[in-house]
Amino acid sequence: MVYVLFLSVFLIAACGLIYELISGALASYLLGDSVLQFSTIIGAYLFAMGIGSYLSRFITRALISRFISIELAVGLIGGFSSTILFMAFTYAGGFRFLLYGMVLVIGILVGLEIPLLMRILRERFELRELVANVLTLDYLGALGASLLFPLLLVPKLGLVRSALLFGLINAAVALWSTFIFREHIGNLMSQRLASFAVVGLLIAGMVYASDITDTADAALYSDDVIFARSTPYQRLVVTRWKDDYRLYLNGHLQFSSRDEYRYHESLVHPGLASLPGAKRALVLGGGDGLAVRELVKYPGLESVTLVDLDPEMTKQFSTHPLLKSLNAGALTEPRVRIVNDDAFPWLERSDEIFDFVVVDFPDPNNYSLGKLYTSAFYRLLRQHMSASGLVAVQSTSPMFARQSYWCIVETMKAGGFQVYPYHTYVPSFGEWGFVLGAQREWTPPETLPGGLRFLNQATMRSLFEFPPDLGPVPVEVNRLNDQVLVRYYDKEWREITR
Amino acid sequence: MKLTRRALAPALVGLTLKGAPRIEGGFALENVEQGHLLRDRAPLMRPRESERVPVVIVGGGMAGLSAAWWMERQGFRDFRLLEMENEAGGNARGGENEVSAYPWAAHYVPVPDTEAGLVRELFTELGLLRDGVWDERWLCHAPKERLFIHGRWEEGVEPHAALTGEERRQMERFATRMEEYRETGRFTVPMERGVAKSTAAEQALDRITMGEWMRREGLTSAPVRWLADYSTRDDYGTRVDDISAWAGIHYFAARQSEEKGPLTWPEGNAWVTRRLATKLRTYVRNNSMVFRVERAGVRWRVFTQSRVYEADCVVWAAPTWLASWVVDPPPPRWVMDTAPWLVSNLTLERWPRERGYPPCWDNVIYRSPSLGYVVATHQNVARHQERTVWTHYWALADGRGADQRRLLLGGDWHYWSEKVLADLERAHPDIRQCVSRIDIFRIAHAMPRPLPGVMFDERRQARLRPRDGFAYANCDLSALSLFEEAQYRGVEAAKYALGFAGRGR
Ligand SMILES: Cc1cc2nc3c(=O)[nH]c(=O)nc-3n(C[C@H](O)[C@H](O)[C@H](O)COP(=O)(O)OP(=O)(O)OC[C@H]3O[C@@H](n4cnc5c(N)ncnc54)[C@H](O)[C@@H]3O)c2cc1C
Repeated sequence: MVYVLFLSVFLIAACGLIYELISGALASYLLGDSVLQFSTIIGAYLFAMGIGSYLSRFITRALISRFISIELAVGLIGGFSSTILFMAFTYAGGFRFLLYGMVLVIGILVGLEIPLLMRILRERFELRELVANVLTLDYLGALGASLLFPLLLVPKLGLVRSALLFGLINAAVALWSTFIFREHIGNLMSQRLASFAVVGLLIAGMVYASDITDTADAALYSDDVIFARSTPYQRLVVTRWKDDYRLYLNGHLQFSSRDEYRYHESLVHPGLASLPGAKRALVLGGGDGLAVRELVKYPGLESVTLVDLDPEMTKQFSTHPLLKSLNAGALTEPRVRIVNDDAFPWLERSDEIFDFVVVDFPDPNNYSLGKLYTSAFYRLLRQHMSASGLVAVQSTSPMFARQSYWCIVETMKAGGFQVYPYHTYVPSFGEWGFVLGAQREWTPPETLPGGLRFLNQATMRSLFEFPPDLGPVPVEVNRLNDQVLVRYYDKEWREITR
Repeated sequence: MKLTRRALAPALVGLTLKGAPRIEGGFALENVEQGHLLRDRAPLMRPRESERVPVVIVGGGMAGLSAAWWMERQGFRDFRLLEMENEAGGNARGGENEVSAYPWAAHYVPVPDTEAGLVRELFTELGLLRDGVWDERWLCHAPKERLFIHGRWEEGVEPHAALTGEERRQMERFATRMEEYRETGRFTVPMERGVAKSTAAEQALDRITMGEWMRREGLTSAPVRWLADYSTRDDYGTRVDDISAWAGIHYFAARQSEEKGPLTWPEGNAWVTRRLATKLRTYVRNNSMVFRVERAGVRWRVFTQSRVYEADCVVWAAPTWLASWVVDPPPPRWVMDTAPWLVSNLTLERWPRERGYPPCWDNVIYRSPSLGYVVATHQNVARHQERTVWTHYWALADGRGADQRRLLLGGDWHYWSEKVLADLERAHPDIRQCVSRIDIFRIAHAMPRPLPGVMFDERRQARLRPRDGFAYANCDLSALSLFEEAQYRGVEAAKYALGFAGRGR
C-alpha cells in the first residue's frame, strides 16, 4: 500500500514532466525556433504549477476525491494535448493561444497534485520522512521521464501516442486510488466509473492515433494544409498559400495552381491540336483532372478515358469544391470515363484503341514506377493506338535529370515510336520535359484552341528547340529487366538535393 | 471484449489489440497412395484394356514432354505419354490462388546463349524469342536479387558489405578462377558435351569435393565459402563439402549470356510445361501411373491401372532410380543419391516492414539454412501490389538423402510452417502478421545429388546408351538437375525412339 502510494508520486511526476516536454517539442516542431519555444513553454508551465500549488490551499474537504478528479482531468487534457494541438494547427486558427492555454491548464492541475498528495499522506507518515520521500520520487520521476522522452517515446511512439500513454498513466493512478482509498471516498461509484471512462477514451485514442498522426504532415509543409489524406496507394496533401494551391503526392510536388497551366497546356496541345480527327483520348495517371481539363476543350473528342490508380484522388478531384474548381469540373463531364486501375495491367487486359494518349505518371523514383517508363510499356501502349495516333509523355526535367529525360526519349524509340522531344519552363518545377511519340512523320499543328494562356504558335515552336545544356546525352534504354532509368534518376536528383 | 492483463499491456504501449492472425494451409500435391502402390510393387491387378502403340514415354516432366515435343515436330504421331499425376510438368508444375500463380519447384530458365540451340528453338516456338530479341515481359524484372546481411538488405546475392581486405580478395580470386574454367569450354550445358572432351585434370576435379578444392585454392574465408555453399544447395541440393568439385565449378563456369535474365514467370517453369502439355494433349495420358514394364519378346509391355500398352520402344523419363523397382528384368541399382526439398508458398496480406534495398525477385538470407524466397508476383507489372505470394525454398542438404527424407516426412505441417516462419523472421520480424496461408510441397526425391565420382562413373554413362528399345531420359542422368538437361535428355531419347520405331515398322 505504501509502495503503491509512492509509486503514484513517481508516476505523476513523470507524467507532469512529459506534458511539458511534449508541449515544448510540439511548439518547436510546428512553429520553429526551438530555443524560444522551449524557454517560454517551460516558463509558462512552471509558473502555472506555482498557481496550482497556491490554489491547493483552497481545497479543504474531500481531499482524496479531489485528487482523483484532478488526476482524471490531467489524464484527459494532457493525454489528448498533442492530438488537440495537431488538429488545431491543421484545421483551425489560434494555435499559439490554444498552446499556452493548454500549458497553463495542465500546469495548474499538475501543480495541485503534489501538495494534495502530501496532505493526504500526512496522517500516515512523519513529516520529515514524507517530505524527503515525496520530493525524491518527484525528482526521480522527472529524471525517468526526461530520459524516456527522447530515447524511446518520440522515436517509437511519436508525440501523439506518447501523450496518450501518459494520460493513461494518470488515469490509472486515479483508478487504483479508488481502490486503495475506497473507505475514504464518498462518491466511490461515480469516481470509479469516471476513471474507467477516461481510461477507455484514452485507449480509444491510442487505437485511432495513426489517423491523428497523419495530420502531423502539417509540420512538413510551410504552407497551410487544407486537405490531407492517406489512401492505400499514396498520401495526398493539398496546401494553400494565398491563392497558390499545391498538390503533393507522397511529399512530391505535383502542381502549383499558379503555373500548372504551362505544364498542362504543353502536355496536351502540341499533340492533340495536330489531330483534328481524334475521337478517343486516354489519360494514364493524372487523377487531378488538369490534363482532362485541357482535353475537353476539343469538341471533336467523343470520349476521354482517365485511368488512375487511386479512387480517392479522382473522387476528391470530382467532388471537393475547391479541388474541382482547379480542373473546372472536367472530371464530371459526360464524355469523361474514370477507371481506377493500375495502368500497365489495365492496358494488358484492354482491347481499346485510342487516337491520343497522355501519360502523366509520377517521376520514376522507384522500381514500381520505373516499370511505367520501360520499352515493354511503350510497346504495349503502341498496340492500343490508332495508326495516326500520338502519345504525350511527361518525362521529368531535362535540366535536373538530363540523363533520365533522354533515357525516356530513347526508351520510347526502342518501343517503336518516332519521338519529338520538347520542354517548357514551369516556375514551380523549373525546366520540364515532355516527349511526343508518333508512328509516322509528325508536324506541329497550325491552329490551337482559343483561350490558352501560355501556348501560341511562336511559343510552341520554341518548345522543340533544346539549348546545348539540355541537349541529348548518351543513355541506355530502360527495360523491365534492367531499369537504368531508376538509377539515373536516383543519382541525378541526389546530386541536386545534396 | 474482455480486456485481460496480457491484452492490455500491448495496448498501453500503443500497439493495436490484434494478435497474430491465424495462418491456414497444409501439404500440397501429396500423392502418398500412388507412391505406396509403386513401393508395394503393384497390386497386380491386370488391366482390362490393351493398346498397341510404337512408342511409350513414361513420365511427363520437362524431359518426357520434350521427347514428345521432338517427336511431334518430326511428324511422328504414334506414341503416348503416360503421366501418373493429374497434370504433366513434374518438377516444373505450378499452382494458383486468388492472389497469384506460383511455382511448386522449378521457377526459372537462364537465358540460353547461342550455343543452346534446342532451348532457343523451343522458346522461339513459344513466342519468347522474336527476331533475336527476348520478350522483355518474361525476362526477370529489376530489381533482381538481394541479400539480407548485417541486419539489412543489400543489392545482389554476393556478400560485399563489410568484408575485410582478405575476404574481398578471396571473392575476387574465386571469380577469376571460375572465369578461367569457363574459358576451357569444358563446362557446358548440356554437360555431356564437356564431359566427353574432359582432360585428366578436369576428371580429377570430380574425385574431390568442392570444399576440398576451395581449401586447396586457399579460398577459406567465410563469405566465399558461404557463396559457394549457397549456390550448390540452391541448384543441386548438396552442400559445398559434399558436392563434386566438377559439379560445383559447373554451376559458376557453365553459362554466360549477353542478355540480362533469367527468364521467369509467376507460375515458374510451369509456364513452359503447361504450354507443351496443351500442345501435346492428344498424346498425354494423365492419371496413368506406370507400375510395371516388362519385356515381352521383342516388345515392351507397359502397365497402368487401366490399360496395358504394347510398345516397341519405351522412353523412361520418370526418375531413373525408379526403373529398378518397375522394370523387368530390373536394371542394376542406380548410382545416385537424391536430395529432399521443401517448397512453401506463402500468401501475404501485406508486405512486411524492412530495411535497405527494396524487395527483389530472389531474396536470400545470409547464413540461413534455407535458400530464401522468390516473389511470385515479381513479374506482375502492376505498380501497386497489396498482397503477394512468396515461394520459399529449402533444400535438406545435410548428410545422406535418406536421413533428411525421414526428417522431411516426419514433420507435420505445423512443424514445417513454423520452421519456415522462423527462418523468414530473421529478416522480417513482423512476417507472422503478414502471412495468411502457407502451402507446403514436400518433395522426397527432388533431385540427384552430384557427389564426387558420379560425373565420370561408368555406370552413369552406361545408362546413356539405349538398348533393346529402352531409352532413359530424365534429367537426373546428367546429375545436374536443370531445365536444359531435361530437355536435352528428352530430345536425345526421342531421336533414338524415332530411329528404333522407324526400324520396327
Ligand atoms: C525445388 C526444385 C527447384 C528447381 N528449380 C529449378 C529451376 O529454377 N530451374 C531449373 O532449370 N531447374 C530447376 N529444378 C530442376 C528440375 O527438376 C528440372 O529443371 C526439370 O524440371 C526436371 O524434369 P524431368 O522431366 O527430368 O524430371 P521430373 O520433373 O521429375 O519429371 C518426372 C515425371 O515423371 C512422372 N512419373 C514418375 N513416376 C512415374 C510413373 N511410375 N508413371 C508415370 N509417371 C511417373 C512424375 O510425376 C513427373 O511428372 C528444380 C528442382 C526442384 C526439385
